[in-house]
Amino acid sequence: MRYTRAAAAAVALAVAVTGCGGKKKADDNAKGADPAKIVVWQMGDGSPEQTKFLDGVAAEFHQKHPKTAVQVQYIPWPQATQKFQTAIAGGSGPDVTEVGNTDVQSWAEQGAFADVTDKVSSWAEGKTLSKNALANDQLDGKTYAVPWYGGVRAVWYHKDWFTKLGIQPPKTWADLVTAAKTIQDKKHVPGIAAPSDFTNGILSFVWANGGDVATKQGDKWVGTLEQPQAKEAIEFYAGLVTKDKVAPDKYVGKNELQGPQQDFALGKIGMYMDGSWALPQLEKVNKKDEKNWGVFPIPGKTGGLAPVFSGGSDLAVWKDSKYKDVAFDYLTTLDSKKNSKAFADTLKFLPQFTDILQSGAYQSDPIMGPFAQAAASGVKFTPTSKGWADYEGSKKVLPNAVKAIMQGKSADDELKKADEQAGTLLNQ
Amino acid sequence: MLDTVQTVRRPPGRTSSGPARSARRRPRFGPYLLILPALVTIAVLLIWPVAQIARMSFQKVGLRQLRGEPAENVGLDNYRQILGDDEFWAALRHTLLFAAVAVAATLVVGTLVGLLLNRLGRRMSAFVAGGVLIAWATPPVTAAVIFAWLFGTTGGLVGWFLDLLPNWLVGGGWQNYNWFSSPLPDYTVLTICVVWMSFPFVAVSVLAGLRTVPGELYEAARVDGSSAWNTFWKITFPLLRPVFGVLLTMSVIWDFRVFTQLFVLSGLANSDSFNLSLYGYSEAFGSLNAKYGLGSAIAMVLTVLVLIVTAVHTRMIVRQEGVA
Repeated sequence: MRYTRAAAAAVALAVAVTGCGGKKKADDNAKGADPAKIVVWQMGDGSPEQTKFLDGVAAEFHQKHPKTAVQVQYIPWPQATQKFQTAIAGGSGPDVTEVGNTDVQSWAEQGAFADVTDKVSSWAEGKTLSKNALANDQLDGKTYAVPWYGGVRAVWYHKDWFTKLGIQPPKTWADLVTAAKTIQDKKHVPGIAAPSDFTNGILSFVWANGGDVATKQGDKWVGTLEQPQAKEAIEFYAGLVTKDKVAPDKYVGKNELQGPQQDFALGKIGMYMDGSWALPQLEKVNKKDEKNWGVFPIPGKTGGLAPVFSGGSDLAVWKDSKYKDVAFDYLTTLDSKKNSKAFADTLKFLPQFTDILQSGAYQSDPIMGPFAQAAASGVKFTPTSKGWADYEGSKKVLPNAVKAIMQGKSADDELKKADEQAGTLLNQ
Repeated sequence: MLDTVQTVRRPPGRTSSGPARSARRRPRFGPYLLILPALVTIAVLLIWPVAQIARMSFQKVGLRQLRGEPAENVGLDNYRQILGDDEFWAALRHTLLFAAVAVAATLVVGTLVGLLLNRLGRRMSAFVAGGVLIAWATPPVTAAVIFAWLFGTTGGLVGWFLDLLPNWLVGGGWQNYNWFSSPLPDYTVLTICVVWMSFPFVAVSVLAGLRTVPGELYEAARVDGSSAWNTFWKITFPLLRPVFGVLLTMSVIWDFRVFTQLFVLSGLANSDSFNLSLYGYSEAFGSLNAKYGLGSAIAMVLTVLVLIVTAVHTRMIVRQEGVA
């Protein structure tokens, strides 16, 4: 018995010692020769187009680092959070990873990503990266990720219905309600979908009206939903269900994917808000109606365009990566102007280089045109506080407030409560 | 006591040498040795994690702590934060009410189906038992997805069916009715889903119990002209009391910790419909900033609740069996 235990201890010790030795050697390697492989995490299920694109990127990368193999692992979006948490806790992350742009602040704060400030500033093509998007990747003056592709939300509508009923794409909130009412009367389907679990879409209305969800005053975040501009916008959005009755209450407590998207594709609702990236999903539901779908930017209250929230993905170098320089070389290959535009085009997103967005490459595209137009009019981001993940993720403050207002609670009370929560959650 | 008896019975002329001593010890350690594997398994898989959760419930634990940073002790802060949260009290209320309704419904439906199975012929009984056991064998996620579709707004079968019924009976507009946006309809669907999944076990257990009741008792009852209602309460129920006791306890435990179905049906977006498990999950894992300490505290509250219920019922069963 005692002998076995001693043997086991000896084996464990040997493993530990060699393990340590191996690590040290790898660290030495990092300074000199290329590693045998780097691991790259990509979100999603890995469509054939994506795999083909990434093979091309790897080939390009091999011209610079012929000895380094690129191993791509796909992680479905819903599992991303857990996978990251496990990797951070266990120290078993990739070298380069894709990351949802709203999540960058939280992960960076929790020490998941390497500081790439210097690398980014000496990256030639990186000079024209969208300023707002890059700011979203910075924490305490340091850069932890770079924007890769992004997209904004706009309103999808049935072009053939609009033509037949003589409706113009709405330019104001009043137009939007009128258009929805007309559809409801003539087509006998609800005019527009107003889901309540839709923070980023609802915020477009708030921003359009000059309001915001929270502002930083000195060192502290202060919730500002109670302010008249924000309140008016939220009352308008909730009013689509309660007051104007042009949005059905069946989407209360749901997001744009839990009904609205499918119902729009099937012609069971007049309009709904979603990004350009919804097109592949819509086609999956109802391919033959595709030519009848159109898009217009979310209107401002009395005209103009609403500043929209940009959703999308960024790229980061993992903090525990042993080959950060090589990893960053791969990252810039993946995010070169040529490659990021090619990839964004296949996904129906937009690249994050200001010069490409303004070059007019998208203006003639019937679907991408309005999205590019919306993106050019002003992209905003949610508060860059790590607490935003709680505000939006676990507490769902804005969705809960909007849901309660849609169910008849007082807007004053609900927004007051939401601002109180903002005060505690965003400043933790 | 045992020792004295053995000492007395020891054959004369033998000294208390090695073999004798070990023979005396064997009956004391033998049984423990036999249950040791089970104990070790339970300790590793259950007791140790529970102890960890208890410890974490007094700490502030996030991802940084999992990476090796020392966790900060916060005393009762986690518990204080929970008890001060309206969502907690709503979740507690939902958990208790749901358990009461679902357990009662499960036992009633299960018993009725069990009685039915007992009356059916052999072939029909096997057919029905097989049918209901499929419901029991369905994984909770699958069942929840099916129910989410049944009660869904686009192509939902229930809405479609209710709209086919005359309006004076059930009203109209069911196709677009949102079942998951407020607690009452949400929990109605949840109760149906959970009862649907759990009554088969009750039915089959009751059937197994009924098969042990001697037929003469029922014959005698029939001769005396007893009604079915009376026969059940005067013969079946008293004889199957231990079976019902176990079923009740297990149902309470199961229904207290329902998570999967609610997670799929109304999800994290409808916090006004949370129960304790979903509330704990949402606090611990709902956002990127994992709050394992807070989640652990909620898990502790739920564990203590279930333990109290279990303790009360175990005591009842033990006492009953002692009397019998």
